[in-house]
Amino acid sequence: MLLYTLKRLGLALLVAAFVSIVAFMLLRLSGDPALAIAGEGARDEDIALIRQTYGLDRPLIVQYLDWLLTILSGDFGESLYFKTDVAGLIAEKLPVTFLIGGLSLLFALALSVPLGVLAAVFSGTWIDRIALAIAVAGQALPNFFFALVLIMLFSITLRWLPVSGSDTWAHFVMPTIALGYYITPPMMRLVRAGMIEVLGSDYIRTARAKGLSSLSVIFKHGLRNALVPVVALAAVQLGFLLGGSIVIETIFALDGLGYLAYQSITHKDFPVTQAVLLLLSLIYVLLTLVSDLLNAFLDPRMRVA
Amino acid sequence: MSDAVVLPVETVAPKTRSVTARLLSNRSVVAGLILVGAVVAIAVLAPLLAPHDPYTQDLTRRLVPPIWHDKGTWANPLGTDNLGRDYLSRLLYGARISLLIGFSVMLISGLIGTSLGLVAGYFGGRVDLLISFLITARLAMPVVLVALAVVAMVGGSLPVVILTLGLLKWDRFAVVMRSATQQVRSLDYVAAAEAAGASRLRVLLGEILPNVFPHLIVVATVEAGSAILLEAALSFLGLGVQPPLPSWGLMIAEAKNFMFFSFWLIGIPGTALALLVLGINLLGDGLRDVFAPEGRA
Amino acid sequence: MLGRSLTACALIAAMAAMPAYAAKKDNSIRFAYDQVLENIDPYYNNVRLGVIMNHSVWDTLIYRNPKTNEYEPALATSWKWIDDRTLELELRQGVKFHNGEPFDADDVVFTLNFVADPANKATAQQNISWLEKAEKVDQYKVRIRAKRPFPAAIEYLAGPMPMHPNEYYAKVGPKGMNEKPIGTGPYKVVQHDIGKVIRLEANKDYWEGAPKPKPSIDKIEIRMIPDRQTQVAEMLSGGLDLIMNVPVEQAEQLRAAPHLAVKSGLTMRIVFILFNAGENTPMPALKDIRVRRAIAHAIDKETIARELVGEGVRVLETVCFPSQFGCTDEGAMRYPYDPEKAKALLAEAGYKDGLDLEFFSYRERQQAEAMVNYLRAVGIRANLNFMQYAAMRELHRQNKAAVTHQTWGSFSINDVSAGPSAYFKGIDDDMTKDPEVIAYFEKGDSSVDPEERKEAYKRGLQLVNERAYAVPLYALTTYYVADKDLEFEPYPDELPRFWEMKWK
Repeated sequence: MLLYTLKRLGLALLVAAFVSIVAFMLLRLSGDPALAIAGEGARDEDIALIRQTYGLDRPLIVQYLDWLLTILSGDFGESLYFKTDVAGLIAEKLPVTFLIGGLSLLFALALSVPLGVLAAVFSGTWIDRIALAIAVAGQALPNFFFALVLIMLFSITLRWLPVSGSDTWAHFVMPTIALGYYITPPMMRLVRAGMIEVLGSDYIRTARAKGLSSLSVIFKHGLRNALVPVVALAAVQLGFLLGGSIVIETIFALDGLGYLAYQSITHKDFPVTQAVLLLLSLIYVLLTLVSDLLNAFLDPRMRVA
Repeated sequence: MSDAVVLPVETVAPKTRSVTARLLSNRSVVAGLILVGAVVAIAVLAPLLAPHDPYTQDLTRRLVPPIWHDKGTWANPLGTDNLGRDYLSRLLYGARISLLIGFSVMLISGLIGTSLGLVAGYFGGRVDLLISFLITARLAMPVVLVALAVVAMVGGSLPVVILTLGLLKWDRFAVVMRSATQQVRSLDYVAAAEAAGASRLRVLLGEILPNVFPHLIVVATVEAGSAILLEAALSFLGLGVQPPLPSWGLMIAEAKNFMFFSFWLIGIPGTALALLVLGINLLGDGLRDVFAPEGRA
Repeated sequence: MLGRSLTACALIAAMAAMPAYAAKKDNSIRFAYDQVLENIDPYYNNVRLGVIMNHSVWDTLIYRNPKTNEYEPALATSWKWIDDRTLELELRQGVKFHNGEPFDADDVVFTLNFVADPANKATAQQNISWLEKAEKVDQYKVRIRAKRPFPAAIEYLAGPMPMHPNEYYAKVGPKGMNEKPIGTGPYKVVQHDIGKVIRLEANKDYWEGAPKPKPSIDKIEIRMIPDRQTQVAEMLSGGLDLIMNVPVEQAEQLRAAPHLAVKSGLTMRIVFILFNAGENTPMPALKDIRVRRAIAHAIDKETIARELVGEGVRVLETVCFPSQFGCTDEGAMRYPYDPEKAKALLAEAGYKDGLDLEFFSYRERQQAEAMVNYLRAVGIRANLNFMQYAAMRELHRQNKAAVTHQTWGSFSINDVSAGPSAYFKGIDDDMTKDPEVIAYFEKGDSSVDPEERKEAYKRGLQLVNERAYAVPLYALTTYYVADKDLEFEPYPDELPRFWEMKWK
């Protein structure tokens, strides 16, 4: 187990390093940061001076290593647009995004697990079909469209929920639904498939033969085994949620990481874009690591993989 | 759904039936085929079906409601948009753009992902390690964010959007193809082909690819649907296909300013897009049932 | 279906029974803006919200009465030109900044010299580049010196040039000023969460004799809500009290809501299409005046104005706002909508089979799209490139965008030097750089004799039209949507004056 953990950890670090290179190159190759720093009305000599001052005239690889070193020392540089500390900006926005990501994941789990179990237990019946329909509908709607319809329904017509902002719990209801619903289908499918497989296995048949009640078989024996891959998927989906909340944050004026990233992209604020990209990748890598370890813990067969 | 109680035919059908017959007896496949087929037909026949030029604007006839509203007229059955362009014509032509995006992205990403997956699964060892690493690294980069950053810098246009998404979305192809290939390569006839002295490329393309093809089709449908939705999200953020091209995603994005008062304006392309993606997903679901009933594709 | 049940009628019916708003009860206003302010310090941003903050939190030396357009004493009690480049001002005594620092000549001198120094990289160079330096004469008297004769200085001092407290500004700079802004104005900033919310509170000790009245509303909350649709939803559901720049079609539809009032007003923001006809233009076809003229003839600005801009719109024939000093369309060449003539001009220029055109725009997307369609109608294969202002400006200045859809609010300065001069005087945004045009605008900006200035601007504006370097379109209107119980008045300078507003 220890060896496995170390191996996985090593791989995670390698992936993070690789992603940081790609993020850096991607942003550097597509625009001259000196122009962005120089801002309005800069003359050519100003720009040349900036290139020199910021070391932008050095080879990319040197710049990359330099950037990596400062990042490793915890310094993410200064935002070109907001003229303030990038680390501070991110620290300020991160909690909202985490909250919304976590809530959405919980929402998706709360919806997909019961639906998936029901669909599996009643496989092939109308219950299965309804569950499938809910899942398929979730995957077919653009999530911004869904979000706007939610606003129309709950804020304007029914007046139950505030439209935008992040001051109270009520502000998080619609963003959670809009974002969470979107990741429900794959999780539900996985629960269903896992349950069908487990329920058909010898192990469950034996349990049933022993005279255990259906419910207890389903929950004690079936679900526990079917949930293993779901845990892995959930961790991966959380990473996806953090990166995918841009649209939702924009609509609900949630001042989180996604919206910050969107602003930084449109204002060519490359230190911020770079930092957010790196951070999200790291979070993803960490989450998959955790999910792998969790899986290995839950299912010893996988440790050898 | 009164007939839903009847057991699906495929569960009782003998496995020996032809693939076509199995496909056609699967309800999801049929429904998906009908939906997608309808959109394809619309796209192909757009010039014949469209009552007007989708680009011609008439600023004096803006936001004419569709025919089912009191003020609707048959001159514009689905009304006109914010610039007085015929909405039906834009919807019909928009089918082309949305389909084009879905299929091109699927092709590009499918080509990359399938090649990587096949190679990783077939050769294993260090090659597999390297490709698995690439897959993990790719998964670690948030698609929406990277796509946004690239499109924002290069500038949004149809080719840019297609290329960006195509180059980003190969991960699922690679993952599925890799594991499918791993299963297939240990089969007897692959070994037989290798023993008979067939070149590796030949084994890969001639023996393995046909065997993993069903999995490929399943992934391809899912990816096409998600590419169409992603383009819609980019358009919503103002960084997708640029007007005046009528992609359905763009039509939804442009109509959102009117949604609280003229819901039909967003409802029509929204429904069209949802139906298309629904059709693609149903097709994918059905194919999965037929080809890979274990549900892990 | 949803579409049916949620039509306008249902919406309005749902809104009929509105609860009394919290905002009204605690005498506050909840306002929203769609663009993030990069820095509250008015010298370090280029956003309209920055102008609003400028006048709410700070004061200027001179005050321009928005109703009469007359200059009135503010932080300066009197002023006079002592030569054609030097303005001497007597300062008001007894004014205090929000942090208690008294206002005197040191504040004026420090603020102006700080922002005039290029090393401090003020963002709004356009507003301060005329300034050479400020000198203290005594504690309540200063002299401000312009780099060249600059008669419009008074207008600038009344607009985008607020006074900062010298000790505080020296200590914290623009960055600290953004985090905790300090001015002398009618409102104090009590909270600034960058990119999220700015909270203002009435300045109870606002100085006596100020041209702005003491505020009646106690608290202002300004939230950044990027999506306009969300702003409208907030208004409909009672989550906001005031929004501005509402698109015409939404505003017109919102009139049906019983708890809202929709007001519109002409703004100083002019719209025009700017060509890069210079040596390095990315679209060489534009060097041909016939192509530029064809584009001007192809666009039906009257119809766009009437249908897409809205109530009170003003169609323009020259690239300036009519109330600006020196603005005239007298004798300027006109380009009426004439698609046939446009086609003929294109054919004459050798583009009978049309030509490709990249059209760049950053706001009023709908109007931009309409223009693109008009161009397509005469055979120009135009594509719209819609992006953020900063991105478009960069492309324009790098000779990568030949045709840009510009809008310009002149920083609400009522003088042509703040308007077309920015685009035709050979500086940053002038990519065509026609020496004759440049000469006229330079003369207009620096002559002392008002008649001479007028004449120079007139000739400059005429030449811009004659050579078709730009297509003047119209001045935008802006729509405000407010709670019906909020008393406020729209002004052409697009400045919601919180200090004048009241709850009924």
